[in-house]
Amino acid sequence: MRARVPGPVVTSATEAGDAPAVTSAPPPVELVNVARRFKETVALDGVSLRIDAGSIHALLGPNGAGKTTLIRVMTGLVEPDAGEVRLMGIRLSGVTSREIRRLFGYVPSGDRTFYLRISATENLVFFGRLYGLSRRRALVRAAEVLEAVELTDAAMLPVGVFSHGMQKRLSLARALLLDPPILFVDEATHDLDPEASARARELVAGAVRVGAAVVWATQRVDEIRGFADRVTLIDRGVVRFEGTVPELMGTSAARRFLLHIARQPGGGSVIERVTDLLGPSASVLPAGDEGGEGEHLLIVLEGDVALGDAIAVLANDGIKVVACREERSEIEQAFLKLTGAG
Amino acid sequence: MIVSTTPNKRAALLEEIRKLPAFFRRDLLVTWSYKLQFFTDWINLIGQVVVFYFVSGLVNPETMPSYGGTQASYLQFVTIGIAVTSFLQVSLARVTAAIRNEQLQGTLETLLLTPTAPATFQLGSAMYEIAYVPLRVILFLGFASFLPGVSYTIQGLPEAVAVLVVFVPFVWGLGVISAAATLTYRRGTSFVGAGASALTISSGAYFPVAVFSKYPFLKFLAALNPMTYALYAIRNALLGGAGWGPTLIAIAILLPVAAATLAAGVWAFRLALRREQRRGSLGLY
Repeated sequence: MRARVPGPVVTSATEAGDAPAVTSAPPPVELVNVARRFKETVALDGVSLRIDAGSIHALLGPNGAGKTTLIRVMTGLVEPDAGEVRLMGIRLSGVTSREIRRLFGYVPSGDRTFYLRISATENLVFFGRLYGLSRRRALVRAAEVLEAVELTDAAMLPVGVFSHGMQKRLSLARALLLDPPILFVDEATHDLDPEASARARELVAGAVRVGAAVVWATQRVDEIRGFADRVTLIDRGVVRFEGTVPELMGTSAARRFLLHIARQPGGGSVIERVTDLLGPSASVLPAGDEGGEGEHLLIVLEGDVALGDAIAVLANDGIKVVACREERSEIEQAFLKLTGAG
Repeated sequence: MIVSTTPNKRAALLEEIRKLPAFFRRDLLVTWSYKLQFFTDWINLIGQVVVFYFVSGLVNPETMPSYGGTQASYLQFVTIGIAVTSFLQVSLARVTAAIRNEQLQGTLETLLLTPTAPATFQLGSAMYEIAYVPLRVILFLGFASFLPGVSYTIQGLPEAVAVLVVFVPFVWGLGVISAAATLTYRRGTSFVGAGASALTISSGAYFPVAVFSKYPFLKFLAALNPMTYALYAIRNALLGGAGWGPTLIAIAILLPVAAATLAAGVWAFRLALRREQRRGSLGLY
């Protein structure tokens, strides 16, 4: 991968003879107060973002939050009503200049973005030629990116016979044709199986390692953990949160865990004992009796009570916790809380 | 636009020109993947000739015009009309359909996000037709020349081709205007059929324009119609061997009209594209 990310710009020395001033390169993607309406519907309302080189910025939000519109504004497909979009410091205005369009690769959310009657290679070569590659170079790059997305075996098949996942991978391959410094990825893993999703994220992470800035729109809240560097949570066109993934998790309110408690020797429900033991640090709710296998309890931890401490209290009193799992992830809880759905 | 364009305009232009074969290859591959459509197109064309062959038996040859001092038979007259009409209809339909197809296939937005000029899309989308449709006309006339009573002056072929070359930007311009309408109104393709019919009827493709003598409005339309002049010049070249005289007159009339139509098409398409970007509805169909 050869992302072309400009380094720091060294300006000339000042007239007073000072050392050359070093100004940092502009961020690959910068949005200032972007607004967009579709008739009466507010799609984006004062969205500001800054995405650095070599990082993945997740755009998180429910359906209809404005993620796709935001990406379309960033690519120049949709003009904002107000505000400013800059790619590598260049302001997008009106019909996007050809030079700007060389700066980014785009993975659209839709499925049908290829010529279905012709092969994957022919599709990629066609788009490569439109990006200014010679036919020979386009053929070489097509083979390389097809290998990267593990579609070499299907290279000569018409795209029409490709599965949804294969088309998504092909879309990613097209976006990587020029190793652009910016990647806009809209719902790339939507409807993909876990293995294919992981492969897509791996490919994008590879581009990031060589300096690309990635905007990754998703509604799959848990896929951003350990993947995205920063996250913007958007809902009904408004930014509800902007920060790192741990910061997002920090906004999560009570954490809910499902405990599987072993059947007590004396029989009877343990819910009262657990409630007494945990006291005000947790709420305890019944979540199903397993008969001879034991009992399920839902515990909602308050404040900064650690799950380990709570389990230790139960264990010290002879209550055997067979299994424990988070009912909803912290990211999911934060998502629901911030979007008002939780 | 704040962004500076490519520093070397000549290099940028060459880069755009180098993209055109990619469009041609794409459309060739797509067209050949629909082999049946290719053959049915030819069957339709031949079917038309068969119909007019029998109609020609009803036409009094003395009512037909002369070209270069040679009186044309109705079948000679009408085969050239069919060839030029099909040239107009196929070119118009395909240039218009190119944009519509991109919309329906979902490829329009991804295409527009490549660093390619709108004019390259328009020309690129028509590349295959620009090469194939004139070839189709020549092959058709070659086939028609085997019919009894039909012959063409081969020496007039360069003049006929010259007229077609000037006629191409006129048709392409109309196609791009209709593509702009399609981009804006989605169902713009219906304009194409209506426009092509109006041009064909008033041009004298199937009957001499002299029959309009009793209808001043149709006569007026025929005089305004660039296709009338194209047909007249091509018939003069292929039926009468009249030389470059009538051809140059037709070219002098067609050239400014073709240039204006093409410029209007490019302008309309840019305007439509800009409007869709503002509305954010480029990918809707």
